[in-house]
Amino acid sequence: MTEHLANQTLIDYMHAGLGPEQDAHVYAHIESCAACRSDYDAELALTDMLRTYATRETRELPSSVKAEIWERIRAARPSPLRNLADWLRPAVTLPVAAALALGIYFGTSYLGPHGTAPIDAAYYLQDHAALNSTVPFSDRATANAADLESSSASKPQNAVAVTASYTAGTNP
Amino acid sequence: MLAYSQLSYVGQIQNVDFGTNRADAVLFRVEHRAPDLTRRWYLAPEALYGDSIISRGTMEYDVDVHRNRVVVARNDALDDQIAFDDNFGLLLRNYKAELAPDTSVAGRRAFQVLLVNKYTGETVIRLSLDAQTKLVLEKDRFGSNGSVTSQMRFEQIRYTAVPTQVFDVPSGFTHVRGQDEGLPSNDLQALVKTAGFRALGPKYLPDGFLPIAGELNNVKGVRTLHLMYSDGLRTVSLFENARGAAVDMSRYTVHSTKLQSRDAQYVRDGPTTLLAWSDGVLHFALVGELTLGELLRIGASV
Repeated sequence: MTEHLANQTLIDYMHAGLGPEQDAHVYAHIESCAACRSDYDAELALTDMLRTYATRETRELPSSVKAEIWERIRAARPSPLRNLADWLRPAVTLPVAAALALGIYFGTSYLGPHGTAPIDAAYYLQDHAALNSTVPFSDRATANAADLESSSASKPQNAVAVTASYTAGTNP
Repeated sequence: MLAYSQLSYVGQIQNVDFGTNRADAVLFRVEHRAPDLTRRWYLAPEALYGDSIISRGTMEYDVDVHRNRVVVARNDALDDQIAFDDNFGLLLRNYKAELAPDTSVAGRRAFQVLLVNKYTGETVIRLSLDAQTKLVLEKDRFGSNGSVTSQMRFEQIRYTAVPTQVFDVPSGFTHVRGQDEGLPSNDLQALVKTAGFRALGPKYLPDGFLPIAGELNNVKGVRTLHLMYSDGLRTVSLFENARGAAVDMSRYTVHSTKLQSRDAQYVRDGPTTLLAWSDGVLHFALVGELTLGELLRIGASV
């Protein structure tokens, strides 16, 4: 009898992550070693338990709702008249005018060559969360138009999932 | 023991997202009737009090009592078993599950399972599963420095039959069509070809990360390519457009940084960081729950 198999080896075997020779060795070993067979069965059960949970039963707050919370908090600002009064104070207007001048001078390159209106950062955060929904243990985010309407008019044109054959280092 | 798909229950859940300097908590009541009816009814914060989300299979109804409307959306991705299996396989390749000592959550005994990254040895998620029903009663997600970045926890739970009327969509509200989430396919190359510009991808990704999904959106008339990469638990999104549409970060606290020799800016939203820059032709935004250092390294390789 050879020595017992390491837990990591059993996990790699379970996920078909071993080379053919080592795979055959592990297969033969757990056929004849009750202790390793038991460890392997335990790993299988644990994985099955995780898969069952991850498939369906996340009860987290959808990201769309988180976004909604912040949307409402940000929307809860002072009235326009109050804002205008505040802005007209000299202590504010002078620095603001200076900042605007600097912004115009330095900011044009950031707007890009076509001067296209910028896209709200919230859109990127929400779309990132929305595409997370097939990732195990994600919060099953569901972006909806209500969340996006304040920042953009977004309509998905196409969506893909990528097989694991991609290798980093090549552009898609 | 009840089959998992047959569990019905009512409970109260607290979700907390821990940011750099503050924590955002949300409290909601959850009613679930097996197999696929769920209602979340929000108790706090005050801005959400009284709102609810009713899930009926892949359909979601966001009941917004403050604006007297119901936003209806379909998320077919929730039923996409193939994509889910692929991503669960990715998780198993990159993470090992370790049992930790039993604990107690909401008065029930629970097994603890740690999902540990095989490359870094870091625990990314800790699950506490009801010892009797296997329902996850608590989930803690950890950042790369070991701090807790988010927590979901049942404060109370009771397994019981829940009448179907609970999941009826209330009447008297204006129905608004939300954004449907379509079914993913596996044709990234076709997606990139239809982008209308020469798209770029990162040459560097953290260990275990692969592209898992992508989409092409039209945002304010700007065609924007979204590529998502994941190691099975953690994700990072790369957005790019060629129309010169930069990222408006005015509603956030903006930080400046350098991406090699290029100016870049980033904002934090809870555990998520958004990094934006331009190479003069394309405008990029990188979004993920990774450290800023990792995002910068990925960005520099694009």
